[in-house]
Amino acid sequence: MGDVEDPDLISDLPQSILESILTRLPIRDAVRTSILSSKWRYRWTTLTHLVFDDKCVSDRPVVENCMIKFITRALFLHQGPIHKFHLSTSYLQCCPDIDQWILFLSRSDIKELVLELGEGEWFRVPSCLFNCKKLTHLELFRCEFDPPPTFKGFLYLRSLSLHQVLVAPEAIESLISGCPLLESLALSYFDSLALNIHAPNLKYLCLEGEFTDICLENTPLLVAMSVAMYMNDDIAECFEQSSSCNFIKFLGGVPRLERLAGHIYFTKYLSIGDYPGSQAITYSHLKIIELYQVSFEDMKEIRVVLRLITNSPNLKELRVSGLSTVVASAEALDLEFWSKDCPKDCTFKQLKVVKMADMSGVPHEMEFLKFLLVNSPVLETMSITPCVYVMDGRLNMLVQLVRFRRASASAEIIFTQDETLCVS
Amino acid sequence: MFGALLEDGEGGGLEVLIDSQKPLNAALHFIQPSCTASEGDTSVGDTVCQMSEVDMAVVKPEALVDDIVQMMRSYIWIQTTDGAVQQVEQEVAMFCPMICQEVIQKGRGSSKNYAISLPQGVGPSMFSLILDYCRFHQVPGRSNKEHKSFDEKFVRMDTKRLCELTSAADSLQLKPLVDLTSCALARIIEGKTPEEIREIFHLPDDLTEEEKLEPLKNTNDDPRIRLLNRLYAKKRKDLKEREKLKSVEAGEEHMDDRSVDDLLSFINGRDGESIGMKTSKNRKKNQKRKDQHKCAPEMYKKESNAFSSLCHNAKFGHELQSSLSETLKLQDVADVIFAPTAGFEDVDIDDEIDLALKEEIDREVEDFARILNSDWPERMQRASILESRRGDRHNYLLMAMAP
Repeated sequence: MGDVEDPDLISDLPQSILESILTRLPIRDAVRTSILSSKWRYRWTTLTHLVFDDKCVSDRPVVENCMIKFITRALFLHQGPIHKFHLSTSYLQCCPDIDQWILFLSRSDIKELVLELGEGEWFRVPSCLFNCKKLTHLELFRCEFDPPPTFKGFLYLRSLSLHQVLVAPEAIESLISGCPLLESLALSYFDSLALNIHAPNLKYLCLEGEFTDICLENTPLLVAMSVAMYMNDDIAECFEQSSSCNFIKFLGGVPRLERLAGHIYFTKYLSIGDYPGSQAITYSHLKIIELYQVSFEDMKEIRVVLRLITNSPNLKELRVSGLSTVVASAEALDLEFWSKDCPKDCTFKQLKVVKMADMSGVPHEMEFLKFLLVNSPVLETMSITPCVYVMDGRLNMLVQLVRFRRASASAEIIFTQDETLCVS
Repeated sequence: MFGALLEDGEGGGLEVLIDSQKPLNAALHFIQPSCTASEGDTSVGDTVCQMSEVDMAVVKPEALVDDIVQMMRSYIWIQTTDGAVQQVEQEVAMFCPMICQEVIQKGRGSSKNYAISLPQGVGPSMFSLILDYCRFHQVPGRSNKEHKSFDEKFVRMDTKRLCELTSAADSLQLKPLVDLTSCALARIIEGKTPEEIREIFHLPDDLTEEEKLEPLKNTNDDPRIRLLNRLYAKKRKDLKEREKLKSVEAGEEHMDDRSVDDLLSFINGRDGESIGMKTSKNRKKNQKRKDQHKCAPEMYKKESNAFSSLCHNAKFGHELQSSLSETLKLQDVADVIFAPTAGFEDVDIDDEIDLALKEEIDREVEDFARILNSDWPERMQRASILESRRGDRHNYLLMAMAP
């Protein structure tokens, strides 16, 4: 008889909450709410965060076309500003519609833009992107980036991430210096890039690729750094000839550094150039150091590692991995270094955790471990993972380890036999 | 902040408190309810002045630890929407920004008389839920994992209560809880069909058929929706056919005359004044589609913008003319076969297109008129072919009428 109309539970919630709910839905579901009821018809059109990925079209043969249509229609129906636009898909290749989308976004106060297209032809960034004045966050993958000569920089840009982007080095440098608020910079997969980085507010730096010459000229606030240097023979040659000290160029002006991670050939890169012993820089905030693929057969690299850790009085965690391609030879050169030239009187007062991976058991590695054990009074754990190729030398390593003096009574040495446990 | 407190006229022993070097502590001490419990409904001034000696002694900057302990035991008076007044532990209640604001900026909550009244959306049961949330989260030192597992269990409730909780948390400006409930609601909505969502939230199904059907709005390729579209389109075509046949029976002669006139008027650039006949419009559309491959690509693109939104399979944004004409040929086929089982989901909703599209189409019509004038003989031929296909009865009548 008299049916009590159940009251609408949700449509009367405040707009901000409904928007927040719609933002948490995948874009497809958000758009579909438009046929729920009259109140919901255009609710989704004022969303300021639009995230498109491979899930927003169902898996059909003509997916690329569907996706283009979907995005274009969604943009066309949208009202109001768009603050966040993420497009991350492997289905879509470069197509003319993308230029139109960026043009539309540049007129909609876009703040966060992420563009990741498929692996096909690289997309050329249209000039309207450089008109997005309010951009705070930019991430580009696989594209050609060519700023017009009148472009001065994004004044509000906080985070820049260029991954496999074709761009002239001067353009990157001027882009970086033209973004005064830049806090986070990530450059990956660049070929032979030489950069001077001027970024007074930069806090986080992530570099990955073949860099010939990096100089952190003005990055006083840098807090965390992660660098992976790929080196080929040309670059190595070019380094032989240079005399400037890479260590200084890289780590000379980062007094606030808290976390340093160096992958692939980073230590080798740092070891190039003559280090003027007079300048001793203290990294009083440096707490975590990770150095991967350190060659313990190269004295210069060992010195770099020692220099780093002895100049970091507040170091808490150290992770080092060796070069697994090293063939453990029975004899070793320069072993006197450890007894004579090794830095004396350096105590790692805060060092608690040490993780060594890919250890081949070469004499210098063992001496390094000995050095650490003797000078770390508060050490809690030292975990050692031998290199997978070294089977015979393990017993030898253990024998030596057991003998080393330990400054910390509570130190645990954990020798991991399981090959799958990898530090990096 | 202090100015506000003073102006409230809560006078009394306030001066002592302000001497404290820690402003926030002072404010909190001010509301220290030694004057709770037993005091009852005395006047404002009395309430504060009745602060006992013990409390005054505690308010010394040095005795911070004691202060904290004291704060832990203090309560805030809160009045729920049903009129009941209750005490809530201070640290729990202060977790809600709105309550915090009331206490600090307006000095309320110190006594039964001056209880903070909750906003409309916060009912008693909701408030107790929120207090449970605050009670858990304000305790420091819990791990993220513990918080997360609590949250997960916390939001397990029926949808009605979840919506009420969201609204209540929003009124109290408790952002973490709003985020939590929004997430939970989003999870409920995600992946469900519109009918299911309407069922869950009791949403009225008040959109008209056309509004639902407009492919422009359903910007997804969900096969279920496409099937629905197709079925609806079929039904509508059926309806139209029946209407057409009825009116054909009713006014055949009329139609015969008009057929030629219709063409003329269309060609001369006037919008087809339909006499309730959809056929003229259909013809117009069909004509346009056929003509499109003759005109410049730009014009076609504009037109196709209008129509491709109606036809799922029209290529959008393609510049090559060959593919255009290809599409057109397919459309031709669809048009000519008037049986509803068209291969294409040619949703023939020409009557219900958006106003914007309509304007665009009007413009196109004028443009086409000009072009058509140059191609007159061909048009006539085409038109007559179309005419002849409109139902057997019509044909028969034509023949009957033919001199």
